[in-house]
Amino acid sequence: MYQYSPEDSNFLVERVNQFEKQLKRHLAGDLDDAKFRSLRLRNGLYMELHAHMLRVAIPYGTLSSTQLRSLADVADKYDRGFGHFTTRQNIQFNWIELPEIANLLRDLSDEGLHAIQTSGKATRNITADPLSGLTDGEIEDARPYCELIRRWFNLHPEFSWLPGKFKIAINGAKLDETALRIHDLGLRLVRNSEDQLGFSVFVGGGLGAAAMIAAETASFVKVEDILSYLESTMRVYNLKGRRDHQKKLRIKFLVRELGADEFSRLVDEDWQQTKNDPNLKLNLVELEQLKKDFALPIKSINLGGFEEKVDFNYSIWKKNNVRSHKINGFSIVNISLTKLGAAPGDATSEQMRILADLAEKYSASELRTTKRQTIVFPYVRKDQVYDLWQSLEKYGLASPHQGTLAQIVACPGRDYCDLAKAVSIPIATRVQERFNDMKTLLDIGDLNINISGCENSCAHHHIADIGLLGMQKNGEEYYQITLAGETLHETVIGKKLGPSVSGENIIDAVEIIVNVYLKNRIDQERFTDVFKRIGIAPFKEKVYE
Amino acid sequence: MSEILQIESILNKDYESVNLVLFQEWIESFDKLSKLAVGIIVGPSDDVSLIKDELDFIKLIVLDFNNFDDGRGYSQAYLLSKRWQFTGEIIGINAHLDQLQFMIRSGVTSYVLLDSYVGVNEEDYANGFSICYQEAANNSGLQKKY
Repeated sequence: MYQYSPEDSNFLVERVNQFEKQLKRHLAGDLDDAKFRSLRLRNGLYMELHAHMLRVAIPYGTLSSTQLRSLADVADKYDRGFGHFTTRQNIQFNWIELPEIANLLRDLSDEGLHAIQTSGKATRNITADPLSGLTDGEIEDARPYCELIRRWFNLHPEFSWLPGKFKIAINGAKLDETALRIHDLGLRLVRNSEDQLGFSVFVGGGLGAAAMIAAETASFVKVEDILSYLESTMRVYNLKGRRDHQKKLRIKFLVRELGADEFSRLVDEDWQQTKNDPNLKLNLVELEQLKKDFALPIKSINLGGFEEKVDFNYSIWKKNNVRSHKINGFSIVNISLTKLGAAPGDATSEQMRILADLAEKYSASELRTTKRQTIVFPYVRKDQVYDLWQSLEKYGLASPHQGTLAQIVACPGRDYCDLAKAVSIPIATRVQERFNDMKTLLDIGDLNINISGCENSCAHHHIADIGLLGMQKNGEEYYQITLAGETLHETVIGKKLGPSVSGENIIDAVEIIVNVYLKNRIDQERFTDVFKRIGIAPFKEKVYE
Repeated sequence: MSEILQIESILNKDYESVNLVLFQEWIESFDKLSKLAVGIIVGPSDDVSLIKDELDFIKLIVLDFNNFDDGRGYSQAYLLSKRWQFTGEIIGINAHLDQLQFMIRSGVTSYVLLDSYVGVNEEDYANGFSICYQEAANNSGLQKKY
């Protein structure tokens, strides 16, 4: 598994030392709130409703068992014993005391973990398919590219003070688990007609109050040219992006205002000046080394005599949580952290240590995190899946919810976040209580519900089958419903159903929507396919009748 | 005009003979202005590409970094220094301590900190790191890791 070099580790320490000095100046009154805010956000630190929240990066969603134990230690030593896995492959700690932050970051840096640029108006943590390297038909594992691009934009002198935040996702697989076209910039690994490897580049996606799908600005950029192309994109954004309107800071507004063609032309014009600069070429020698570092630690095995255990509960869990692996003899196991009443993605330090131990025993000491706030074990031998399940069951981690309606994505909502307009977690709990029968859940199948507490859309409600967006109406909590968003096969922003529904009635509305889907479904048709076929009217009619 | 006075008072010591003009003035009155020892004061929203063909006439360029969150000065410095190979001084004024590393690596050759930073150790902030992960206008003193 890839690990930082001593120079990389030293860089993390230097960054902590710098931030510690800034913090001391702030606490001594020598660095004002506004500037300190800008600096602390670039170190992942937020001031939330009740305390400071720290967002730690899990680059491309890959963690070692040792790193997860280190996160568990942080949860115990500096937080209240738990962490929150986010939709963008980060982990957040919600109860951090400001004076302890430097020691916390030093503890993390010992294991190659950091919070650099996990917030602020700079390039954020670069996300990848959690199944990178594991599935058939993939062009290539995206993670070595994520790492090289992450490094390049790490404290980049020119692009660390952009108009707005800048989120990048990279996908190398057939299906898009990264939702790359709702990112500020999405890269899709492709091969051209001459079988050269490169990227299709998509710019200007984003959710929030004005959800937009990123436009393709280049259909093919050779791998070695990608850094100069990204720099040109960011240069156009840095110089021309809106800085005069708080709600129009993201690159999507610049792309919309200029038009995608004009934006692409400006990027290309800049790029012509730099694309042949040898200093801006991606280092192909380093890339080859990284490919070795990220190579799968398993080889095909023949399990000729292996017979699967017969157990009803195991079968249900396996159906929802286990996927086939491209390497013969192995499976991919998805572990849901969903628990009734708790924030989706929350894990206690004890659970983290259990997962770290189990990954060590069953998954070559590697784990992945996903945008559905679950944990993936990427390398489980097929003949050990049952044993793993038994261990998970013992520790209450064998929830068979993955891929069912009960695997809800929700932001912390008004219970924790000072931006939120409405609660999210209690709504998730009420949906889970309403659909608490496994037979019903299995019958409904793969249907996702995402709940955001405000227009910042942290729970990605626009791209869910059923999306709920919290808002305030006359001092009461209401939820706007969007239907049939998706990103896996194609990128579609969910359609608004109609007037928002009160918190009291929202669970009934969800149930009605599910029932309309079930009534109209032919065979195993997906929610989005039913929606495309019958349109929004039948849903609208039933919900508002 | 307080900003210009401030620049002049700071620069007079070293640049007595430089005739400082605002970017807009240079663009609008290029034909009439003396081309000898000119210094241009550029604001964050000024399009520096408009002066790229006239850099031979210009002795120094002043970039304004007053707004902490406005990063356009870094791209301006990069374009002038690296792309168009401006050989005169690029001076960052109203500079913030915590952004010196970014300014210097983007191509700013000298800087004037805001008054509020008087007395702090600039070196800590100008040279806080031992390695860099990307090509930039100025990587001197840093081990390259890219």
